[in-house]
Order: sequence, then C-alpha cells, then structure tokens
Amino acid sequence: MDSILIAMILALLIPIYEAWQDDDIWQKMLAFASIATKTSIMMLVISVLRDDWSIGVVAVIILCVGNAGLMLLAHLIKRINET
Amino acid sequence: MIDILSYSLMVIGIIFWFWGTLPLIGERSVLFKLHSLSVADTLGSMTIILGLLLKIPSEWSLLLLAIITLAIWNTVLGYVIAYCSIDEEIKNKKIN
Repeated sequence: MDSILIAMILALLIPIYEAWQDDDIWQKMLAFASIATKTSIMMLVISVLRDDWSIGVVAVIILCVGNAGLMLLAHLIKRINET
Repeated sequence: MIDILSYSLMVIGIIFWFWGTLPLIGERSVLFKLHSLSVADTLGSMTIILGLLLKIPSEWSLLLLAIITLAIWNTVLGYVIAYCSIDEEIKNKKIN
C-alpha cells in the first residue's frame, strides 16, 4: 500500500510542477483541479490505511466543496477577463 | 485473491492518473489537456476507490458516496472550465 501511496505522490507532483511553470491562468486552473482530485483520493487511501474514517469524511467533503470552489473561481476569472 | 484484485485495480487507477496528467506539461491547448485530464482523473480515481472498496467493504457507504461525488462534480468541473476558458481561446485565435 505504501508503494501505491508513493506512486500517487509522484503523480501529484506533475500538476504541481505544471501549475508552477505555466503562466496561462486556465492552464493553472487545470492543474489546480487535478491537484484537488488527486489530494482527496490520496486522503481516502490514507483513511483506509489507518482505518480512521474522520479523514475519509474530510476527503469526500473536499471532493464536493473543492470542485465547487474551483467552478466559482472559473466563473469569476471569466467575468474579470470580459471587463 | 481479493487483495490481489484490489491492488491491481489501484495500480490501473494510478496508470490512468499518469496517462491523464503527463500531457499536462506539454504545449497543447487548454481543451485538449482538459479532455485527457478529466477523463483520466475521473476514471482513474474511480478505479482506485473501487480497489479501496474491495479492501474494506465495511465502509462501503462512504466510498460509494465518494464515487458518486467524483462522477458528478469532476465532470461538471471539466465542463465549467471548458465553458469559461473558451472565450480566451477565441480571442487568442483572433489575435494570431
């Protein structure tokens, strides 16, 4: 299970690097959306590893609210770009 | 047997993740990256959660909620980002 977690951390580094090196706001939004999903799935894996389900509940909440927050941010950026 | 199945599901999910995330570094357009990213992220994450479900069936309700949440919210997020970023693409094309 640990090696799976390490592979997940490596998969998480790619969008972090992408968010750091790209200047276009929409590429950054893509990277953040990917980071949000990957982090919440990693939290689910850790909650299964530790059999501690408060972490699992937080991971599911991140899945809902995190993506909703990104959607609002996307609309905000769209409106700002229009003016 | 169940352990082998759950580990193989998780490895498949991670392969999906890498397959979806690697083109992110390239110089392609936002929509191309968004397509491969949202497909791979959603499917890969669902495969990983299925692997977790096989590992600990006692907490099936929470993991099922995670799968449903993932399916709905990740897809809608992909749509919203595509909808919002499309004006930018058209403007860039007009300028070039």
